[in-house]
Formats: sequence, structure tokens, C-alpha cells
Amino acid sequence: MTRILGRGIVFSLLSIILFAGPGLRAQDKQPAKIKASSISVTMIQSDEIKLPAEFQVSLYENLIQQLQKKGGFQHVYREGDRNAANAADLVVLHSTVRGFKEGSERVRQLTTVVGATSINVHCEFTDKNGKSLLERDLKGKVIFFGANLRATYDFAKKAAQVAHDNFSPTAGT
Amino acid sequence: MVLGIERVLFAVLLLVLSPFILPSNAQQPAAPIKVDQITGLAGVKNKTKGSITIENGNLRFAHGKTKVDLAATSMQDVVTGNDSQRLIHGTLGMLTMIAPYGSGRFLSLFRAKLDTLTIKYRDADGGLHGAIFTMGVGKAEALKKELVAHGAHTSIPTQKDADKTSTKAPDAKEQKP
Repeated sequence: MTRILGRGIVFSLLSIILFAGPGLRAQDKQPAKIKASSISVTMIQSDEIKLPAEFQVSLYENLIQQLQKKGGFQHVYREGDRNAANAADLVVLHSTVRGFKEGSERVRQLTTVVGATSINVHCEFTDKNGKSLLERDLKGKVIFFGANLRATYDFAKKAAQVAHDNFSPTAGT
Repeated sequence: MVLGIERVLFAVLLLVLSPFILPSNAQQPAAPIKVDQITGLAGVKNKTKGSITIENGNLRFAHGKTKVDLAATSMQDVVTGNDSQRLIHGTLGMLTMIAPYGSGRFLSLFRAKLDTLTIKYRDADGGLHGAIFTMGVGKAEALKKELVAHGAHTSIPTQKDADKTSTKAPDAKEQKP
């Protein structure tokens, strides 16, 4: 009798966790979005490490492409674009490479388990005046197949997702 | 008299052989270089094969009927893969070897058997773009030299130029009061 009662309690608890959990998590996932209809992307910087020019440019171009596709902004401006000066609700994205772990494409092809490349980028979203609105550390990875170029694509996708989750042209209206 | 005949014969010989003399490289338009445009060239999809020529101070990327021109004067930085390696593996690279997170090592975007040319340029609105091309080994340096000669800027001088400036540096210091 006690065993049945005990199992019943455990079952009830598990049911609560299973059904109530996703609802609670969904509530956690929806922070208030910041109003922004356009974004200006600055060239990727690297304070602590010497970043090859091709890597810097690949990160920058992928970032712009992904923000145009998935960022949810009406305009994505490049660094130095004069039109950004007149844009309302503009946020500026500053990205700084903080480190990387160099993998090997050859090892990845052979084993598909080891040889991953990862690149750590600190992203800061500021307003026009430089006031910080949001900061995130993002990691671009290439784990299984592909050249190191894919790590820059992976980072860009994640950054665009962060922008999409935190900024909206209609927020606060 | 004999000397005069020799001169005439020599002049005739020159006249006969002149069509066979090759025109100088400066007059000859540069042959197209086969490249892969990896990313960043406005109006061209990523990873597009094509060819590059330099005509009238412009870099022309051609892919089928698509032709994109980039003025050398709009280029604010032209860097080859070798430039990046020199910068990182050179003196600066040695100093950063002790830094954390593998920061002293060189992270290459592509396999070593390719030459890369990275160009940062401004569009008509002042927006910064970055284009990356890969090509056969040894071709990027020549392209860079030609672009710089037509007004493109570079943050990393070529190896020879760098050597010249390093040898001239003491003189420059001496000139200071």
C-alpha cells in the first residue's frame, strides 16, 4: 500500500515537471524586446589576438548576410554607411574576437569526432550614443565537415538569432 | 665605306626582325586569373568561380556574362594570405605566442595550398565591404602589387617594401632634431 502511494507521488511529481516545465521555460525565454528597426554592423575587431584579414572579413560579411536574413531589422547598415545617420531606432553591433581553438579539416574528415575549430566572439549591441544595450559571448564552431570558414558562418547565425530574440521594430509600441 | 654597309645591313636586320620582338609587359593587358570569389563582392553570390583582370585602374571580376568592376581607389586595404601569415608568424607573432587561448597561433580560413586576396572597399554610400578571393599559389601578390600601383591602399606592405622601409628607418630617425 505504502509502495503504491510512494509510486503515485513520484508519478505525480514527474507529470508536473513534464507538463509544467516547458510552460515555465517558455515564460523565461521571452524577455522584453528592445525597440530597434535598423542595425549598423562595425568591422570585427580583435584586441588580444592577431586575426587574419580573411577571417575578419568572413565574419563581417557572414554577420551582415545573416542579419539581413534572420535579424528581423528593416535595414542592416555597413560600417561607415552615411544613411545610418538618419535611421531611427538604430542599434550598433560591435564584435570582438576573444580567442579561438584551431582544429583540423583533415582530422575532421577522417574521424568526424575530433578536430573541431571554434572561435569566441564578444558581441555588444549599443545605441547611437554608445550606451550598451546587450552583451553576449558567442562561439562559432565547425565540428564535423567543412573548412574553418564554416565557423564564421556558425557565429553569424548565432549572432543573428540573438539580435532577433532581443530586438524588434515593434517592441514597446 | 665598309663601315657604312655594315650599318645599313644592321638597320635592315633590325627592320626584318622587329615583328618578332615581343611587346613589353607594361603594354600587354594582364591575362585573366582564375579565382573563386568566396564572399563579399556586391552582386555576386558566395563561392562563385570566375576570373580577375585589372583594366583601367579597376579590378574586374567576370563570371559568365556577369562583370563586376571595383575601382582600385575605393580599396582601403588589400591583403594577401602571405601578408597575414607574415604579420602573425613574424615578430608580433612571437610576442603573442605566450598569450592565452591559442592567440599566438595562426588560424587559417582555408587549406594552405590556396593563395588568398582580401580586399576591404567602400561603396558609394561609404559602407565598408570585404571581399575574399582564392586563387592558385603565388598569384595574389602580383595582383596586390598591381592594385596598389593603381591607387589601392594596404595596411601591410609587400615583403620587399617592408625590407626597404626597415633599412631606411634609422636614417629617418637621424633626421629628427
